[in-house]
Amino acid sequence: MKRSRFPFYMTIAILVFFYLPIVIVFTQSFNASRFGGTWKGFTFDWYFKLFSDKNIWHAFSNTLIIAFSSTAVSVVLGTLSAFALYKYKTKLQITHNILVYLPLVMPDILMGISLLLFFVSLKLELGLFTILLAHITFSISYVAMVVLGRFQDFDYSIFEAALDLGATWWTAVKKIMIPYLMPGIAAGGLLAFTLSLDDFVITFFVSGPDSTTLPLYIYSMMRHGSPSVINALSVIMVLFTFVVVFISKKLLEVKE
Amino acid sequence: MKKVLLAAAAAALSLLIISCGSKKNELHVYNWADYMNPAVIEKFEKEYNCKVVMNYFDSNEALYAKLKAGASGYDILFPTSYMSKLMFEQKMIQPIDHSKLKNLKNIDTKFIQKGLDPEMKYSVPYMMTFTGIAYNTKKVKNFRASWSMFDRADLAGRMTLLNDLREVIGAALKFNGYEYNSIDDKELETAMNTVIKWKKNIAKFDVDEAKRGLSSGEFFLIQVYNGDALQLISENPDLAFATPAEGTTLSQDDFVIPVTAKNTDLAYKFIDFMLNPENSKTNMEFVYYLSPNIPAQKLMSEEFLTDPAINPPKAVLDKSDFLKDLGENNSKYSVTWDKIKSSN
Amino acid sequence: MSLQGLKKRKSEVLISVSPMGWLFIFFVIPTFLVIAMAFRSADPYGGIGEQWTLNTLKDLRNPNYPLIIWRTVWLSIISTAICILTAIPAAYYISRIKKKYQDIILLFIIVPFWINFLIRIFAWKVFLHPEGMFKQLLVTLHISGPDSLLLYRPEAVLVVIVYSYLPFALLPIYASAEKFDFHLMEAAYDLGAGRLQAFIRVFIPGIRQGLLTAIIVVFIPALGSYVIPDIVGGPSAEMIGNKIAQRTFIDRNLPHASALSAILAFAVIIPSALALTRRFFKEKNSGSLGI
Repeated sequence: MKRSRFPFYMTIAILVFFYLPIVIVFTQSFNASRFGGTWKGFTFDWYFKLFSDKNIWHAFSNTLIIAFSSTAVSVVLGTLSAFALYKYKTKLQITHNILVYLPLVMPDILMGISLLLFFVSLKLELGLFTILLAHITFSISYVAMVVLGRFQDFDYSIFEAALDLGATWWTAVKKIMIPYLMPGIAAGGLLAFTLSLDDFVITFFVSGPDSTTLPLYIYSMMRHGSPSVINALSVIMVLFTFVVVFISKKLLEVKE
Repeated sequence: MKKVLLAAAAAALSLLIISCGSKKNELHVYNWADYMNPAVIEKFEKEYNCKVVMNYFDSNEALYAKLKAGASGYDILFPTSYMSKLMFEQKMIQPIDHSKLKNLKNIDTKFIQKGLDPEMKYSVPYMMTFTGIAYNTKKVKNFRASWSMFDRADLAGRMTLLNDLREVIGAALKFNGYEYNSIDDKELETAMNTVIKWKKNIAKFDVDEAKRGLSSGEFFLIQVYNGDALQLISENPDLAFATPAEGTTLSQDDFVIPVTAKNTDLAYKFIDFMLNPENSKTNMEFVYYLSPNIPAQKLMSEEFLTDPAINPPKAVLDKSDFLKDLGENNSKYSVTWDKIKSSN
Repeated sequence: MSLQGLKKRKSEVLISVSPMGWLFIFFVIPTFLVIAMAFRSADPYGGIGEQWTLNTLKDLRNPNYPLIIWRTVWLSIISTAICILTAIPAAYYISRIKKKYQDIILLFIIVPFWINFLIRIFAWKVFLHPEGMFKQLLVTLHISGPDSLLLYRPEAVLVVIVYSYLPFALLPIYASAEKFDFHLMEAAYDLGAGRLQAFIRVFIPGIRQGLLTAIIVVFIPALGSYVIPDIVGGPSAEMIGNKIAQRTFIDRNLPHASALSAILAFAVIIPSALALTRRFFKEKNSGSLGI
């Protein structure tokens, strides 16, 4: 039977749909018109403006600080959580399971407002620290889920064999379990890192005056600043993403 | 891999500690966008060897709610005087210590007599503003200086109103011949119905994006503050500004220092610096608002001082109102605003 | 309980306590705080009343809310439907080509979504700009008039929600389709089924799990949308998320924001918790878990 061409056309349509706005942003980043719109000639001005804006770099460093620290903490907590969920099938773990999954389905805005109320009632000063706590909270679940996926294929008997052969529990964990889980932990960590870099809504609720992260800064520029500079920033970020993806793909190929 | 992660964590934590420890000389300013000349701020940073961190809000209500919801650490805010009064009554801002501001004598005392804080107990006036309509002369045919422009169906989808309940409901009150600070239920309902009618013709309620949109051709007519409109006109000669014949709001925006300020000393230095005639002049030339600063006004050109879009003529002043704090009746406005926002 | 059982129990608690404790403190308590706050009243100055009251919840009967809730729900349902309906044929196509090409297409699908969320939405603002190239093209083709506006309407919100969440629908459906045994389709053809019939009666049930995941990962975030309607939606496209933000950041009415949040929270948490408990019991013995 002849195959339908419809699925093929749909795939092409989706790819066009995904890239069209990005292409427009590319061209607009060279448009001399300050607020976008009609074409007013070619310029590199927005790129110069972008690189001379100190605040962007400050926001960027805040973002990295948060992303690195929240990833580090959530990787540890998430892995512990995955281990418990994998190993034990008790009533406690049912609760644990729900506790880990609920943040995944909780809309960002709810997590934002609930954490805001919580921090305010504790009289914690809103700032980098509260953002960090919030990011760890939503990252744990993602890490736990990814690591748990890796656990599914883990053969626990090897671990027990090591214990029988006289290894201490900790050595067995260090020498057998962690190396086996490493790809899962790394993937979970990467996911947590990306989510932290990208988060706007939750951060928006729990941030203070000196804790502007890159997404917050982008939002502020969109609302109150120069959209043309964001076009330029977008292009740089897109190119950066492509380069990172390309390099990591090459590295993986070499490894394989 | 583990080592990499550990190293990254260590690096991040140390960065965190460093960044927390090193913000001794920072001034956190919470301001309206496009409301201060960046050159003046840079000059201040150089002179006092500090860093000014700017954050922006776009309505008095947003500013108030942000602070009420727990935001702390801002050193200077720029509320409109009715909001300064409310914040002072709510013990959110500090009394002003006059001895720390040697340039306070520059303020036009006659002007502030009409305001809500004539003795500058808790606020120092920054700029005088009023609200009007900016439009694209190429696109808007038969323009009339009236709030009734928002009834024009031929401009549907290409107009915006401010995202500010007092300004929008107020404009509708004025359109119907009432006062800006009305708390009469009947009048508010009439105003509400007017805004609901206008809402069908507007693209959105917005403050700053609307300005960018007017300039880029996205919008043809917007409700806007006078100086913001003039900033746009200076870059795009197709645009024009008008004060509605029915009258409008007059506002005075203030410098205030919140009680939670961390760097009160620097905040006073900042205010004093901005009151300096030379700096005030540079600022006025950038923002196109009038500052009630007598020596600074003397430095301004005749053209600037007589521009009706900067210094409203008496005819406009007579028809216009100062926004007042309404105390408990504020909720009447938010209920009305809600009905407007969720109406179809 | 045996000694060994007790020891096992102790290590279980030791391991679970830190992640569970963290989530309890930073997720459960704040969520209950929101719910509790919904039973407080707000004073006109933005403070929170001391007394417990049902008035805040009663205010939700205000005729304006059902409208916004209804809009939120239908925008979410339609965008989920569009995502699923476009993702199915695409996932079908991708899963049937050579593995090498599959990887490339998947990469092209994922890469745009590593671009910052706000920038992606912003790209749509630039794209749909009334003086922009796309609009001019529409005007030349006589699809739209020169003065019509593409942005600031519910349709714009719909398009951008689809744009933002389509990959999240595509990936799980693709994952199921990739595991699907296409010989079943051929068997159906042999038994006389038409192309469409085989697709609907054999392929779709075959990827049920992926479809379910896709529906959840699109529908729930769509319900909680806040930034998308905020940026590309106009006054007629407000959703619950915008209302919550307005109550928090403009109206100084935290109890009201909390009441709305509580409703939204119950709408997503109760069904998810029930589904999870059931699944946990069902798979308790089979030893596999996860979505």
